[in-house]
Amino acid sequence: MMCRSGQQPDQPDSCDHQHSGGEATATAAFAALLEDSAEELYESAPCGYLSTLMDGTVAKINATLLDWLGLAREAVVGRMRFSDLLTVGGRLYHETHFAPLLQMQGSINGIALDLRHADGDRIPVLASSVVKYGSMGKPLLIRTTLFDARDRRAYEEELLRRRAVAEEARRQAEADRARLQDALAVLQRSLLPDTLPVVPGLDTAAYYHTASPDELGGDFYDIFPVDGKRFAFFLGDVCGKGPQAAALTSLTRYTLRAAALHEPDPRSTLTTLNKVLHERYAAGGDPRYCTAIFGILEIDETTDQVFVQLASGGHPPVLILRADGTAEYLPTPGGLLIGVLPEARFTAATTTLSPGDTLLLYTDGLTEARTGTDRSSLYGEDALLDFGTRHAGAPAHDLVQALTALLDGFGDGLDDDTALLALGVPARPAARPTTRSRP
Amino acid sequence: MTPLKITVRDASTGPVWEINGALDYTTAPELREQLTTLTIRPGQRLVLDLAGMDFCDSSGITALITAHNHAQAAQADLALAAVPANTVRVLRMVGLDQVIPLYPDTDAATRP
Repeated sequence: MMCRSGQQPDQPDSCDHQHSGGEATATAAFAALLEDSAEELYESAPCGYLSTLMDGTVAKINATLLDWLGLAREAVVGRMRFSDLLTVGGRLYHETHFAPLLQMQGSINGIALDLRHADGDRIPVLASSVVKYGSMGKPLLIRTTLFDARDRRAYEEELLRRRAVAEEARRQAEADRARLQDALAVLQRSLLPDTLPVVPGLDTAAYYHTASPDELGGDFYDIFPVDGKRFAFFLGDVCGKGPQAAALTSLTRYTLRAAALHEPDPRSTLTTLNKVLHERYAAGGDPRYCTAIFGILEIDETTDQVFVQLASGGHPPVLILRADGTAEYLPTPGGLLIGVLPEARFTAATTTLSPGDTLLLYTDGLTEARTGTDRSSLYGEDALLDFGTRHAGAPAHDLVQALTALLDGFGDGLDDDTALLALGVPARPAARPTTRSRP
Repeated sequence: MTPLKITVRDASTGPVWEINGALDYTTAPELREQLTTLTIRPGQRLVLDLAGMDFCDSSGITALITAHNHAQAAQADLALAAVPANTVRVLRMVGLDQVIPLYPDTDAATRP
């Protein structure tokens, strides 16, 4: 407390002498012990003290504050107003917010202001003020305490700066992630045909189940013309996942396409692919391989029958659904994984599809899906054969739709990518004139 | 998943490695790492005893192929013993049963 009477009228800043004599003695004893006095405390307190008239004129200021400001007492007391001690910004804030609030409330607490040092430096402070009123309730003067907020302000600025840095990093990470997902989606589309080409005399349908949206899948399929009469098709599964699997998928797809155009024979095509993959990966000590079924379709326009030659390299056998309501696998045992050995043997098979028949190619995501309440058993080839028998005679599109529902039903038991490709010969319309028997 | 444990011993036909635990994406690199320490003479046979292998995925199959390639590079052979039924099914599917001989147990695989 300030205990020196000031020059102000009504002696506003004089001390209250309300303590009992005993307390005063004890206080004095402590002060003596500390070699401190109220006067000393006021002048050298670790904060700035300031008393001003109601118009802001400085009536009293402590040494601490004068030291902060780099000003002499004579230059300040009675000559400057509180707002003169502030920076331009501080002054503005004082006039528009601080002073009006103080007048209204009689006190104000912990407001951030900037003092201006004599040499122009900015000194951030936290200001608290109270209005002292006379006995008639008339405001007499304003007492203000200022705390040095340089460290605190620096700390806050550091926090803000760090938050801005973190914010920027987060924004950047989100942008990167979005860009990566866009790139992944574009790549994934480049590994699978957007739409299957129209094959005259054949219905085609495909489906791709992605196990993880963040990873490029490892399954692939395609169908494309090789000459005026024949179409080639393939479906397969590369080992692994992610960018390396995608690179392998890409090499596999383009090799199959080029090889098929060069020599449209299933076994030779797979042999070419085997050489390419083995040379590219296994020969360098990094074995990467795929399983695939590659086939050639030849459509007989007079009978509507489709002659199919295919070969398998380590891939599960295709399923044939017949128009008569039966289903069967077309076995291709012993075909080796493609890309593992420099010389590999592939197993060929042929079949003829008649109207109403459908050929189904799939990857082992389907047959290896885990089923049962504890997800301990595999869906398996027998169950798929039963499923095929139940859907025999259905058009390719309906079959793929039914299989999609089956895959959805596996829930989290389906943890691998799964590709489906169905090639069906449309059933003859029941009342088609050309098939009606002659009278 | 159980971790991978590989126990190495020698038979008259060559090294026998017992594979215990899961051979999958996370553990397959350990087998590949171990293969770099393989010492085998031409004409010998590396036997992988899979009786204690409780899981094998496509990465595990790749590691078996790597083992085969290592043995071949040393003019030696790889044989698999006591292959679990599910893995036999996969090996048949991908044609590897015709490339790598399968034996019911290590005794049969190490008979000179």
